[in-house]
Amino acid sequence: NGAAFSKGRGSQSGQDSTRWHVVRKFLGLISSHNIPVYLIDPLILGLVNKDIEQIRSSPDGPSPECKYFCAPRDFTTFALLDKTWKHDVGLFRAAEKMGFQWLKIINKDPRLDGMDDLSGMEIPLHYIFKLASHAIHLVVFYERSGNFLWHGPLRLKQHMDRKFVPFRKLHFGRYPGAYEKPELLLVSIDDLKVQIPKNPSSFLEEMSHSRFLECRYREARAFFQLYPDDSSLDAVEFRKKAKSLLHLAALTLNNLGVKFWLSSGTCLGWFRQCNVIPHSKDVDLGIFIRDYKADIIPAFQKAGLPLKHKFGKVEDSLELSFQGEDDVKLDIFFFYEEDDHVWNGGTQAKSGKKFKYLFPKFTLCWTEFVELKVHVPCETLQYVEANYGPEWKVPVKSWDWKSSPFNVQDNGIWPIDEWDNVIQIY
Amino acid sequence: MEEWKPNPPVKPHKKRSWYLAWKYKLMNQRALRKLCQTGAVLFLLVTVIVNIKLILDTRRAAYEEEEESAQDYDDEMLNVEVPRHPVNNKKVLDVEVYSSRSKVYVAVDGTTVLEDEAREQGRGIHVIVLNQATGHVMAKRVFDTYSPHEDEAMVLFLNMVARGRILIFTIKDEGSFHLKETAKNVLKSLGSQVAPFLSWRDMWTFVGKKGGEVYGEKHAKSPALSTWGDPVLLKTEVHLTSVEDAECHWPDTELNRRRKRFCSKVEGYGSVCSCKDPTPIEFNPDPLKDNKVFDVPVAVIAGNRPNYLYRMLRSLLSAQGVNPQMITVFIDGYYEEPMDVVELFGLSGIQHTPISIKNARVSQHYKASLTATFNLFPDAKFAVVLEEDLDISVDFFSFLSQSIHLLEEDESLYCISAWNDQGYEHTAEDPSLLYRVETMPGLGWVLRKSLYKDELEPKWPTPEKLWDWDMWMRMPEQRKGRECIIPDISRSYHFGIVGLNMNGYFHEAYFKKHKFNTVPNVQLKNVESLRKDNYETEIHRLLGEAEVLDHSKNPCEDSFVPDTEGRVYVMFIRMEQEADFTTWTQLAKCLHIWDLDVRGNHKGLWRLFRKKNHFLVVGVPASPYSSKKPSSVTPIYMEPPAKDEGAAAVPAAAAEQT
Repeated sequence: NGAAFSKGRGSQSGQDSTRWHVVRKFLGLISSHNIPVYLIDPLILGLVNKDIEQIRSSPDGPSPECKYFCAPRDFTTFALLDKTWKHDVGLFRAAEKMGFQWLKIINKDPRLDGMDDLSGMEIPLHYIFKLASHAIHLVVFYERSGNFLWHGPLRLKQHMDRKFVPFRKLHFGRYPGAYEKPELLLVSIDDLKVQIPKNPSSFLEEMSHSRFLECRYREARAFFQLYPDDSSLDAVEFRKKAKSLLHLAALTLNNLGVKFWLSSGTCLGWFRQCNVIPHSKDVDLGIFIRDYKADIIPAFQKAGLPLKHKFGKVEDSLELSFQGEDDVKLDIFFFYEEDDHVWNGGTQAKSGKKFKYLFPKFTLCWTEFVELKVHVPCETLQYVEANYGPEWKVPVKSWDWKSSPFNVQDNGIWPIDEWDNVIQIY
Repeated sequence: MEEWKPNPPVKPHKKRSWYLAWKYKLMNQRALRKLCQTGAVLFLLVTVIVNIKLILDTRRAAYEEEEESAQDYDDEMLNVEVPRHPVNNKKVLDVEVYSSRSKVYVAVDGTTVLEDEAREQGRGIHVIVLNQATGHVMAKRVFDTYSPHEDEAMVLFLNMVARGRILIFTIKDEGSFHLKETAKNVLKSLGSQVAPFLSWRDMWTFVGKKGGEVYGEKHAKSPALSTWGDPVLLKTEVHLTSVEDAECHWPDTELNRRRKRFCSKVEGYGSVCSCKDPTPIEFNPDPLKDNKVFDVPVAVIAGNRPNYLYRMLRSLLSAQGVNPQMITVFIDGYYEEPMDVVELFGLSGIQHTPISIKNARVSQHYKASLTATFNLFPDAKFAVVLEEDLDISVDFFSFLSQSIHLLEEDESLYCISAWNDQGYEHTAEDPSLLYRVETMPGLGWVLRKSLYKDELEPKWPTPEKLWDWDMWMRMPEQRKGRECIIPDISRSYHFGIVGLNMNGYFHEAYFKKHKFNTVPNVQLKNVESLRKDNYETEIHRLLGEAEVLDHSKNPCEDSFVPDTEGRVYVMFIRMEQEADFTTWTQLAKCLHIWDLDVRGNHKGLWRLFRKKNHFLVVGVPASPYSSKKPSSVTPIYMEPPAKDEGAAAVPAAAAEQT
């Protein structure tokens, strides 16, 4: 069937039957080895997304024309969940027999990277199967703690063929990425049966800001060499509470669809020591004010975290604080964006004094922290340095939020008539 | 698999045999002292230079690594091909073998491959196996043939070595006292002329090809009972064969490629490397229907006992319902041979830089392994924890599959273990029966992730605390009154002898007669009755049905239990409070079960079998089941033997292990 179709259509102008043939061969190869791959090629998913209703409703229908797999491209991208296949070398032999050249990119296993002294085998991160002028880029996804999928960066080792494919054009591999586990849908497009993410548009959305940052385990180890970790019972208990508070906060905000990131001390803990700072006493999150929702307060209350105080207002210096279990507090700072910087505000309850904390602009990256997939500023060093100054690597136990931060500025006083609104303490 | 590179190479062998030979000849000459001093200064200088270079190199390497991560895609740094080692076309190996009272060494082409001058260690016959094509060391063993049975182990080992390999023998101190006829004949069949006449404190070296020529033999007779033979140094040449001749010609499959890689590197694994009829390395046991533990990761904790690991993995991979993809072997140290075994079976292995010493080292290795397991399998709610010296029952996974839901649902449970401390040949009977016990047996067990992540990991003993991980886990602060589920008949078998703190006698007495289930697909009985409250109902039912034994008889005598089968009997012993195990310990001793500390109890009740009858022991009045005691019965009291220091030392040492 497919062959007939390709004969008819493949020769049309601007179409590339080679690509269609290579994809078909590849899908045949992997299905004969029982390897469940799914399509993540952003260009094709973009096209598919436009016709998604029709594709969903006719999963088996023959295609009148080659709409998706015939646009001339250097490569087509698929994903493979590592745990769904057995690293069967037979696959590669079969691929060679079919005429594929293949390249495997391996590297360290980040899941063991946090552990100072383990050395496992390197794991495959990417495969490239090349046939004639077309290549299949197969991205290997791994499950990580925090219930998400991770793919690695694509870095060539010295002896590798740099011209095997135009690497710089690949859609995946410039950075590592973090994704939710996708729901898949088996569809037939261009007479090829292939699995795609059930909701291509949300997958594409996710892809656009999927960049992942690994914690700096090496630096964290060096830090602990200088300042041995506090393993007292109090520290163990605090970390446990902070972790469960962070899990609860993440669940609550994710349910509301509010994007947040680790801020202040919690961010410093991640960046400096890949862990909660045991003497920090609270958990700090940042949210852009444009993402503010009035539901936030009731949602936290419903989750069992009563509002402790609310300072400022949506238009200016908003800051919320919720009471977690036994004195562990959740602080949420709202960030206001200006042309060349962002800032958040602080308020001193007794005097009505306002403070302002300035940060350089930043974007958000995913990371893994205490078994959670969370955002941190991608430009973490600048963020942390802005907040804590060049001495951020040295632990400080006595901390005054009004004077200690490197980036604090006085910001006047709230007018007395507004106090009832902008200084609420429960 | 083929990409795995052993991190820091296990070498370096010292290039020094010329020096050694020279040293032993001239050692006593005083004129040499001056030369030695000059040499030492030179040596120091060289060391300093080498170290500085090393530091510089390390820095550069660290810098380069960062460079790499900063770049996109390409790392076009140095496009230099790493120079390969020149292929060794040499056809002849120089072999030197030294035998003496206090020292042995073997050097191959100037590289020391064995050197043992430790005091009070390494007595007996040292054997080295070389690959006849490459000259690589494939196995290194020492058999203390001064002691009984070691010669049998040597015969077993020599029989497993493939024909054509080069064998090197040398004696340190004494190697003849328990070298029996059979062993001497094996050595003779290898071409040794001296072996049949080896006697007390003789020195001996021998180099030969298995099933082929003899390259050399030297012998020095001990002149008198009280003295040793003179040291002997044998220097000889060995002719290498071609690689093709040294390898078997198995059909070219993926499995055989793994086999070939393994068999060209190591020796002493017997039929797995047999050319004619190699034993399988893939087992494909029957899958389990409705396998609830198919996705549960399995962590195998290993040290440097590759032969044990080999035996262990064979049994694990033969168990029904095994999922090889979930298995990770954690090796404590950068040992090559255990990793070779892991790769032979196509499994994944992780090496762990040793931290701390002795028991704390094991404890840190456990922690790293468990953390890594839950990192690698973030979805897992449980992990199966095994050790390299266990045989795994064919229905191990079936046993877990039928019971794991209890661990998930019953918060009063601490673990499921495959091992019954009291399950000996004469005290375990029913493969379908499970117990709840207040002790944690280990030796093949299931750990709940939440227990590990929320409780154990954060406060795991730090390296400077020289604690045993299992003793620590058994402490009330950790166990918090929770219990483990165990089978009556163990699903693991502890075959380890030469271990961290294990000795042969100890193993013989406490582990050898342990019962081990060999029946496949055992359907467990009444699993629901193992839940906390159900179990009490079950115990009360059992005690209600149990016949009270005659308490005027001696409980140690066989006649204490009637000659029946399938009945339930109960006896009452004195147990003043919860921690009073005086009588129990004496009873355990005379029943020849585990008596080194208290195991297998549940609220002052022990359950075992005697003469195929279920046999219950209740401690009165401490146990809540004391109320079942008829008023006419006086609990049996057994006095501990008078304190004897020698005896007291044993339990202390023994309590440290398992």
